[in-house]
Amino acid sequence: MAAEAVAVSIRKVGKRFGNVAALDDVSLDIRRGEFFSLLGPSGCGKTTLLRSIGGFEAPTEGDILIEGRSVLHLAPYERPTNMIFQHLALFPHLGVRENVGFGLRMKGADRAASARRVEEALRLVRLEDYGERRVDQLSGGQRQRVAMARALVNDPAVLLLDEPLGALDLQLRLQMQEELRRLQRQLGATFVFVTHDQGEAMAMSDRIAVMNAGRLQQVGTPAEIYERPANRFVATFVGHANMIEARLTGRAAEGLAEAEGPAGLRLRGIAPPHGATDGGVLAVLRYEKLRILPHGADGEGIGATVVEKTYMGSSLRFACRTGAGATMTADTPNAMPQRDIGEGDMVRLAWSPEDVVLLTD
Amino acid sequence: MPRPFPGVRPIGKPFWLMLPGVAWLLVFGLAPVAFMVAVSFWRSSIFGTTPDFVFDSYARIIEEPLYLDLIVKTLRMAALTTLLSLLVSYPLAWFLATRRGAWKAVWLVAVFVPFWISYVVRTFVWLPILGRNGLINQSLMALGITDAPVEWLLYNEGAVYVGLVYVYTLFMTLPIYLALGRIDPKLLEAAADLGARPWQTFRHVVLPLSWPGVLSGCIMVFLLAVSAYVTPRLLGGTSGIMLGNMIASQFLSNNNWAMGAALSVTLVGIVGALLLVTGRWIGIAEVFTGGKK
Repeated sequence: MAAEAVAVSIRKVGKRFGNVAALDDVSLDIRRGEFFSLLGPSGCGKTTLLRSIGGFEAPTEGDILIEGRSVLHLAPYERPTNMIFQHLALFPHLGVRENVGFGLRMKGADRAASARRVEEALRLVRLEDYGERRVDQLSGGQRQRVAMARALVNDPAVLLLDEPLGALDLQLRLQMQEELRRLQRQLGATFVFVTHDQGEAMAMSDRIAVMNAGRLQQVGTPAEIYERPANRFVATFVGHANMIEARLTGRAAEGLAEAEGPAGLRLRGIAPPHGATDGGVLAVLRYEKLRILPHGADGEGIGATVVEKTYMGSSLRFACRTGAGATMTADTPNAMPQRDIGEGDMVRLAWSPEDVVLLTD
Repeated sequence: MPRPFPGVRPIGKPFWLMLPGVAWLLVFGLAPVAFMVAVSFWRSSIFGTTPDFVFDSYARIIEEPLYLDLIVKTLRMAALTTLLSLLVSYPLAWFLATRRGAWKAVWLVAVFVPFWISYVVRTFVWLPILGRNGLINQSLMALGITDAPVEWLLYNEGAVYVGLVYVYTLFMTLPIYLALGRIDPKLLEAAADLGARPWQTFRHVVLPLSWPGVLSGCIMVFLLAVSAYVTPRLLGGTSGIMLGNMIASQFLSNNNWAMGAALSVTLVGIVGALLLVTGRWIGIAEVFTGGKK
């Protein structure tokens, strides 16, 4: 990656609170113009990392560079970043226009030019008619937009978003996701977005960094994260998957490997990196990649019995027990022919080796 | 409007529930003021004060510079006391509001405990501190800074400020402390994030958001200081006298109730007018409604 394309560079950053490491040896590069998400459960360090970029936390180790310049010695007000806070933190004593213009005013920008930019920012978030309102006269979605305008009007090198959609109900949340994505594309700005919602991260991001217990687990596109989880944590945290403990038995062609699961279940899947050829592995197979076929179908796959069928609206979830006694779960669209399969029915389960990921940790 | 308890028959608006409150206000609030206003129109002579309806006392207040000067001086002293209290209290309130954990309770108790003691006693303690052979003079002489006791520490206007600020400062600290405590710390971060340097954050976020606390503190201290009696009496000597002392002596030694009452009414009128005028200017309504419009 060319150095000039990097907006934020996190280098071996650690943050210790006493004996607890909130961040542990985190290194990653965020590209300019990228929608980058930090995804993980609460307490994983994603917010600490975001606040470290903004200057609200001081890392105890490592360095953070923005546009190639170390920013660790800079106070928040000196950094080329702006943050949208979890609870927005709009100024209650100021109107919409004053909130949006706050940053420009603090920097002593020219009054007329500021006023123009504030109007522009309000138009950008579609609040051009709300400049005179008090912030407590706005709806949740409108307040979101004010927070966005207040940050974006300063034209930050990096926009930091600390779970700003967390408090919204689902419909509004989806709407704001779209809105954020639109803004980011339109402005070509670099967004760093913290969330614990994997669906949100998937839908919005160019790339995602999955974090757990202060450590970086995997960095990649949503597809890479989902299709090729790097380890057990990513496989479980993102999406739903069958996790089968198995032993490697040998290598196969095209980057595949053979493994043996419980009760003699033969598995073929994408081989773990580092060339391991034996030892324990975890076979990961997404629910929807497991095909469930009526019993009469051709001899593809293995025989199983449906233990439980869960109706989920657009999809159906079947928990099955294989002849050898392993439990496997399949998600299918709520359509024929799977729709007619019921609990207790005999079925066949099939999958492609390319959909099985073998993990050593 | 839907009935809150369906099936329960309303028995008309229960005005009588207001009775205790209204009675309290009438007996302890309105009646004494009304009586004082009435007395201010009585006639006074060397034989005492007799009920009447004359403007003698008010005429004297206007005609004799002694009274007007004292009223102006009292207002000036109350204003300066308020200002000094604000300067002392704001940093103190900020300090208290920004403490965290167990130490916060310790600091709060340390600040508030002295105020469990009567303000008369707390005024008295300045005598052995500021007095001729007091703590300060002893220290100054022990350190060789002065040879003889400094005489101007006590019994003047300056000593009254020391006493008043000390005695009433908590009435300023408390509302400011509460107002500061209500400020979401995230707002300070948001301000810093938007490029505000610390003093800008203070000027544009902290100060406006604590303004209602500042106003109610100022009003409290001003009202208390303008009617001060004990502090100027104990610490002020002859040059530190305030209107409260004058009013008291009209009642107690001059036996001129009408004059005392008239001075009181005049003070109430002036202070009320001041509150009205400044209220328009600085948004006093917020003080009494808790900052909600």
